[in-house]
Amino acid sequence: MSASAGAPLLELIRVSRVHGEGATEVHALTDVSLQVGVGELVAVMGPSGSGKSTLLNLAGGLDRPTTGQVRIDGRDVAGLSHRGLAELRRRKVGFVFQDLNLIPSLTAAENAALPLELDGVGVRQARASALESLGSVGVAELADRFPEEMSGGQQQRVAIARALVGERRLVLADEPTGALDSHTGESVLRVLRARCDEGASGLLVTHEARHAAWADRVVFLRDGVVVDTTGAPPAAEELLDHPSGV
Amino acid sequence: MSIRQGLLALLAQEPMYGARLRSEFEDRTGGTWPLNVGQVYTTLTRLERDGLVEVSGRPDAEGRIAYRLTDAGRAEVTRWWSTPVDRDSTPRDELAIKLALAVTVPGVDVQRVVQTQRTATLRHLQDLTRLKSRNDPAGVPRHELAWQLVLENLVYAAEGEVRWLDHVEASLARAAVGRREETRQRDVREADRGDGADASAEGHPGTSEGGREAHGIPATSRRRRR
Repeated sequence: MSASAGAPLLELIRVSRVHGEGATEVHALTDVSLQVGVGELVAVMGPSGSGKSTLLNLAGGLDRPTTGQVRIDGRDVAGLSHRGLAELRRRKVGFVFQDLNLIPSLTAAENAALPLELDGVGVRQARASALESLGSVGVAELADRFPEEMSGGQQQRVAIARALVGERRLVLADEPTGALDSHTGESVLRVLRARCDEGASGLLVTHEARHAAWADRVVFLRDGVVVDTTGAPPAAEELLDHPSGV
Repeated sequence: MSIRQGLLALLAQEPMYGARLRSEFEDRTGGTWPLNVGQVYTTLTRLERDGLVEVSGRPDAEGRIAYRLTDAGRAEVTRWWSTPVDRDSTPRDELAIKLALAVTVPGVDVQRVVQTQRTATLRHLQDLTRLKSRNDPAGVPRHELAWQLVLENLVYAAEGEVRWLDHVEASLARAAVGRREETRQRDVREADRGDGADASAEGHPGTSEGGREAHGIPATSRRRRR
């Protein structure tokens, strides 16, 4: 890993994202700073339209900030060419969405090996890494099954295995439990938590408090602004800047 | 419990005497937590003893004594609004009472109250989840299972509280939009008046309950009695 010890794997520094301009300007995110360290799972909560998805797209290098910096494994996304960014994404970042994560015509092992093969790793080595990654999320026995032969929870585990295959250490999850019942959803969160405890880093977008609670920190977004976080307990003075009473 | 805090919050609005405090408290919390006048006066006496309230002026014509906040009382109200409900020492109802008062007492940043509580509840939920994560749900012994279920009960309660707070926030946002719309329609009606339109006959919904609706509480739920 190129990240030095203690350095955040993902860092957003005063990031703003504005869509459109002039009268139709929309501020999707305003001045958001966020770090996800090695071994850390951070959850983002907020009502729909609060900027959660924009945040995740920026964090994964799928979108670029209007102002501010996004650093993935220490590298500023803004300084990268289109090609360089694609490579960074392929090597460092994995996504897990609510559903339709896996390619239906590929087996679990082939799905998990895909990012490595796209990156030029030989088939044999890619498969070995994929099997290792499937094992780490507890679905080694599903390696040769196709997505339609797996349950929703198993598919999400495979998606996590793919997100963290090989040298990849950052998983960005957008409502990964949205399509699952509460028991299965919880087992998927346990897997995500366990992978982070083993050294991966995760950014999890969810509207479910019980799932967000698996994170080390929960960040609350509203109207594109971070309004609170469960990190350090808030200082009393911070809370008292709005006068109550008459 | 929160009678003490509730009375202080009401007195932050203006000085009141005991019977009025009682009716204001019941009115604003939908009559869900009825008080008797004796409770109110006992609480006022203690608050006075603790230096949080003081008698305001002379008794009125009917001999009723109004109370007002002292500086210490005002500080206590500010502290109550700005800190989350203490889960260890109070029943959960305090949160509902707190929100009911927050949306009716002027000058309270309700959104902040909601967010402060939500953060605290999420932190509580994180603690519970950490306890939960020590056990694998598969193959736990029976007494472990019981403990897991108790933990789950607490998780569900905390989760429900967060969902309710989300709902409060969304309702406040909707009410704010409604107020803006009402203002806009009134402006339109006033502009129309010059054309001879009968503005009063339009019977705008919500205006009959006036300020109550404006605070985002539907009149029907406020009248609920046990």
